[in-house]
Amino acid sequence: MTVLGNLALWIALLVALWGAVMGFAGGSQGRPELQLSARRAMFATTAALLVAVVSLEWALFTRDFNVEYVASYTSRNLPTFYTWSALYAGQKGSLLFWASVLAIFGTLAVVFTSARHRVYLPYVIGIVSIVVAFFVSAMLAAANPFERLPFTPVDGRGMNPQLQNPGMVFHPPMLYLGYISITIPFAFAMAALLSKRLDVEWLVAIRKWTLVSWLFLSIGILLGMWWAYVELGWGGYWAWDPVENASLLPWLTMTAFLHSVMVQEKRGMLKKWNLSLIIGSWLLSIFGTFITRSGVISSVHSFAQSGVGYFFLVFLVGSAVLSFWIYARRLPLLTAETRLESMVSREASFLFNNLLFVGIAFSVLWGTLFPILSEAVQGTKVTVGPPFFNQVNVPLGLALLALTGIGPLIAWRRASLPNLQRQFAMPVAAGLFAGLALLVAGMRQPLAVLAFSLGTFVLATVAQEFFRGISARHRQYGEGRALAAARLIGRNRRRYGGYVVHAGIVLLFAAFAGMAFKTETQATLRPGESATLRSPFGHEWTFTHLGVSQYDALNRLVTAGTVELARDGRRVGILKSEKRQHVDGLGRPTFEPSTEVGIRSDLREDVYVVMAGVVNGTEQTVYRFTLNPLVWWVWFGGYVVVLGGVIVMWPGGGPPAVRRTQAGYAVKLASQSQETRKS
Amino acid sequence: MMAAEVVAGVALALGLVWYVMIPVLRPAAVRPAAGGADDGADEVEDLSPRTVALRALKEIEFDRATGKLSDADYADLKQRYTAEALAALRDAPAAAAPSPSLAATPPRAVCPDHGSRPEDEAVFCSQCGRRLAAAGAYCARCGATLEAGATYCNSCGVRVAA
Amino acid sequence: MTTITRRGFLQRSGALLAAGVTGSAIQSPAPDSLAGAGPSGRLWDPNRAGRSQAPTTERDSDPAIQVLEKRLKCTCGCGLDVYTCRTTDFTCTTSPAMHRDVLALLDQGLSEDEVVQAFVERYGVTVLMAPPKRGFNLAGYFVPSLAIVVAGAGLLVALRRWTRQAAVPASASAAGAPDAAAVAASPEELERLQHELDEFSA
Repeated sequence: MTVLGNLALWIALLVALWGAVMGFAGGSQGRPELQLSARRAMFATTAALLVAVVSLEWALFTRDFNVEYVASYTSRNLPTFYTWSALYAGQKGSLLFWASVLAIFGTLAVVFTSARHRVYLPYVIGIVSIVVAFFVSAMLAAANPFERLPFTPVDGRGMNPQLQNPGMVFHPPMLYLGYISITIPFAFAMAALLSKRLDVEWLVAIRKWTLVSWLFLSIGILLGMWWAYVELGWGGYWAWDPVENASLLPWLTMTAFLHSVMVQEKRGMLKKWNLSLIIGSWLLSIFGTFITRSGVISSVHSFAQSGVGYFFLVFLVGSAVLSFWIYARRLPLLTAETRLESMVSREASFLFNNLLFVGIAFSVLWGTLFPILSEAVQGTKVTVGPPFFNQVNVPLGLALLALTGIGPLIAWRRASLPNLQRQFAMPVAAGLFAGLALLVAGMRQPLAVLAFSLGTFVLATVAQEFFRGISARHRQYGEGRALAAARLIGRNRRRYGGYVVHAGIVLLFAAFAGMAFKTETQATLRPGESATLRSPFGHEWTFTHLGVSQYDALNRLVTAGTVELARDGRRVGILKSEKRQHVDGLGRPTFEPSTEVGIRSDLREDVYVVMAGVVNGTEQTVYRFTLNPLVWWVWFGGYVVVLGGVIVMWPGGGPPAVRRTQAGYAVKLASQSQETRKS
Repeated sequence: MMAAEVVAGVALALGLVWYVMIPVLRPAAVRPAAGGADDGADEVEDLSPRTVALRALKEIEFDRATGKLSDADYADLKQRYTAEALAALRDAPAAAAPSPSLAATPPRAVCPDHGSRPEDEAVFCSQCGRRLAAAGAYCARCGATLEAGATYCNSCGVRVAA
Repeated sequence: MTTITRRGFLQRSGALLAAGVTGSAIQSPAPDSLAGAGPSGRLWDPNRAGRSQAPTTERDSDPAIQVLEKRLKCTCGCGLDVYTCRTTDFTCTTSPAMHRDVLALLDQGLSEDEVVQAFVERYGVTVLMAPPKRGFNLAGYFVPSLAIVVAGAGLLVALRRWTRQAAVPASASAAGAPDAAAVAASPEELERLQHELDEFSA
């Protein structure tokens, strides 16, 4: 199916270019026939790219090893589940995946944009089409997934064992969805700039898209952490790897945008800032792709590198210059409507929140690029590893955590001293109490104590917000507390969903702080021998080596070491860690042996067992035993963040209809209100 | 196999090009884009001055109830946002139609002796039986009845036109 | 060293399996691989178990050496520090070699900083996981924090100016006229506003 695939790519390129021309021409001249052609071009691009995707999947599933991509990333014995994900296991396929998803997002934007915001659509189509065209041309010029080999190998090289993990099936698509969907808000922002319609409407149009993008990116980052934790085997989930950093950067700037956008909605301020945040987030997402694809900075994600990196560099620089040039030309149209009323107000606290988010983004970017910078300035390449990032970013992160608690307690527009006292008394007391309690309990890591203490403070503010909100509704409207709670959240989904996200972030921070107490040991055990490790919670864990078993699985030869776990002398279960030698369809080994870890998770700590290998082919086994405190809370905190995001995004206006029913003249009004809405 | 693929590819190309080019080739057939799915029901989406001002009023009320705003600040802000809301209501009485209750409620009539009537669409005063005139405006400062179209209050002299 | 036949292996695995099912017999596996009861059994196919590992010693898990090795980068290109690499990717031969160098240098009586220095002399500063805090590297550490502090200060100044500008018209209107005079409203309008507010979803 490579001929069809190639043709489909060329069609997609030409149609996308046509769509771009029609979009811009139709938008600037206001001609409906050109606009309709642009819309159709968007749909047609999507259709052509989907045909290309189907062609590639066809080649993958039929194991057409004459296709270079298929031979590189699959083998005859690759499980079906992972054959799907071979689409984005390599560079070329992920470019195709990227372009297709972008086209799909463009189509969704065209279909779901409400009538009010239709004016922007021709330009949106134009921008999206240009980006799609770029990706497709990069594929056709430098990384064509349909390229054929001059010969046909008997079997493919198979998929990297580290990618043969459920986390890796879902992590890249989620991350890509996050990265790619930023293009839609960016396109709306550029559409607003180009069409000079810079009133509040563009903001409404892009806010939801930014949320979508933020949510996917959050899920993608969390899944990436989970994958790193269960698959890479070093017992952590975040290593400040350049690729991880690249995914964090747009997340940070989008989070900043989601906060500062409220200031623009409520007060008409920060227009310039918000636009530049959106443009910046998009550029950072392209920058992330560039980092991942070019191998400029070495990283564990090296399986995705190749020569298209410099395409991205040119594209990145070109679009940065172009978009900021357009932005600069429209600056006079972007003046603030109102002024700040008080230094102590929610608006002001959002400004500092943005300062910290963008500051952290800058420091992560700075650290990621510093090796290149250092080589250019002082001629020596330096390594910027986790110690560097932790030193620079942990204090900033803690400041941000504090602001997470402080911000919501300050009223919009103005806050006065007695109010602040009343707002802060309980949460501050709770935070201090938690800190003292931990000190008394013997915790001696200052940063961890600070993190837990601040976390308690923030959780207390969230609880207080919910409690006071419910009480206020209870008093004002006489609602029962359960109803008041439901309505409070239902009618202020953004505010209270946001608080739920805050609570999730606190859990994440607490879990991160828990990693300061990670303990580990290596041991070489004969069957029956055991090693012990004392956990930060005071338990004594005993690991008894039971033996090694060997068996064959579908595409691998497995050697499994089994360990019996006992906590404080009481047996709690058995963990297995594997050495896997992957083989191709002919039984020839592929890749170096990989390691599968054994994990036992509970609310307090994870027991993490890694089988390093055996001594001289006997059952005497070298293990690494690690106790990772609070890791469960990372995943739980992640769920809470996603839940909060979903609450914020939950569509529809639900409440008004319910309210009118209660008002007693529902029937008459319902029909009228529909008419008025249509007008 | 290969020939079939080429045929399929060419068919795809022709089909898509036809689909995309039709509007340009036959512009007469194109009607202005019809309104599609409208999700405008969401008041959160609405950023008209009216909604923003109303939302601000609601919020300061709620902020006072939850103890974030002091009473003095509340009074001050309430005055400002009431003014903004009124200005927005006056600017866009027709556009304010999304509030259906208003569209359904005609202006309340006022009895010169007994004031504004509680009944909707009252024609006679339910206390004295007098025929009601359309409501006249009152000065918000001194309460004097204003002539139609007055710019200043005839009693206390304060500017009353917005 | 006892060589175990395939049949023997299966029998033993069977015993283990049975033990796993009953749960209680785990403590008494087949005698040939009991601790202290002789050498461990040989694996059926040692080749699939990855690189043969040397038995670890107490020093391999020494916390002080962990800390030291986390400052040094493995030069195999993995980007990890020596400790993480040698305890994670057990196919790498570079990090165990570097680990042995660390142990040897420590045995020569070098202090931890001297060991790090010796590595820098051999491999260059890239061997450090974080650049030393001197010269241009200081920019690496402090530019972001400085930028945030400067931007924060600028923000404070700007905020003060903005709020002062906003305060002037606000106070003028507050002082100049009595409360309700700021806006003249007919009762009808006020009522309408109240209506709108009631309708407005809170």
